[in-house]
Amino acid sequence: MARITYRTFGGLGVVFLLALLLFFTGCQSQHRFITKTAFKGTHDIVITFAAPVEEGWAKDTANYRVYEKPDPDIQLNIASIALSNNARTVTLHFAEPLNQDQPHMVTLKNIMSDGKSQGTAFVSVKKLYLGVLFSVLIGAMLIHNFVFTKYLGLCVFFGTSQKKSTAVGMGVTFTIVMVVSAMMSWALYQFVLKPYHLDYLQIIVFIGLVSLSVQAVDTILRKINPMLFKAFGVYLVLVIANCIILAVPLILADNEYNAFESLMLALGAGLGFLVALFLMSSARERLELANVPPTYRGLPIAFVVAGLFALAFLGFSGMSLF
Amino acid sequence: MDPVLIKMALGGLALLGCIGLFFGIGLALAAHKFAVQVNPKVEEVLEVLAGAQ
Repeated sequence: MARITYRTFGGLGVVFLLALLLFFTGCQSQHRFITKTAFKGTHDIVITFAAPVEEGWAKDTANYRVYEKPDPDIQLNIASIALSNNARTVTLHFAEPLNQDQPHMVTLKNIMSDGKSQGTAFVSVKKLYLGVLFSVLIGAMLIHNFVFTKYLGLCVFFGTSQKKSTAVGMGVTFTIVMVVSAMMSWALYQFVLKPYHLDYLQIIVFIGLVSLSVQAVDTILRKINPMLFKAFGVYLVLVIANCIILAVPLILADNEYNAFESLMLALGAGLGFLVALFLMSSARERLELANVPPTYRGLPIAFVVAGLFALAFLGFSGMSLF
Repeated sequence: MDPVLIKMALGGLALLGCIGLFFGIGLALAAHKFAVQVNPKVEEVLEVLAGAQ
């Protein structure tokens, strides 16, 4: 037993290190000349440069183009621009309050510093990063729970939610497979598929990565925990064909998430599935003892219960964090 | 045909080939490392039994 625990922790450690590595490589998406971008108050965006910029350039509104990420066509009106005394910080003041839930994209044309052009920068402004990560996590876990609000992954969901122990084991395994495959697909998409314009292959590549991680988990679990392996039966292999595990990489690719956001989305989706499985298995263990009409016994009543859970999860809809 | 399209197709072939080769080797190593010993007698006994049920 002790050996199994050590190995499990070893595996988790490897996953964690991989995630950390990806985080550090994925952080640098901004322009080299811009050190910091942030919202300030309700109307302002503050941009900090690495070196002093020329006042004539900085005060000209024509050099800036700002829009909310989902609506590139709607350009926001800059009311005034302030330059700090050391000429390294520019504050853009907008006529209308900014919707800080959306990341804003700022284009700075031909940045002039010290008589030289530093090129055109295209940077995003986001609010407090940990808050965004947390809301991605909770959003994937509860607000947009993949099982109860998107109705994905139902096959595995109904198959393994009969007993609490199987359900929790499945949930944990699913979360690990999800995180590993999502991080791999994110890295492959960002560093190979997108730069070489091979995005048309994304579905095939993602399916390959998912089946790789499932096969790896299958091989390893068969050795280190045969009891759990037996309890999963065919459902472990069915994870390959699970829609959630394929939906997450596609969502990541569509939304251009960075490494940390991807990790949170994958973790949230996995934990959301774990929560759904746990709730459902708790209810189904009691259903075994309940006096259910013969026609409804087994799967039909399970679907009814799942519907009720989905109604309950509807209570989370429209919630926004931070 | 447009050379860009040919390039894309070849790129796809190369990518899928690399992925297949790389992960195939990885999985083979994993299977070797985590190999489960199966008693050959289980197979033999199952063979001898009628197997109707």
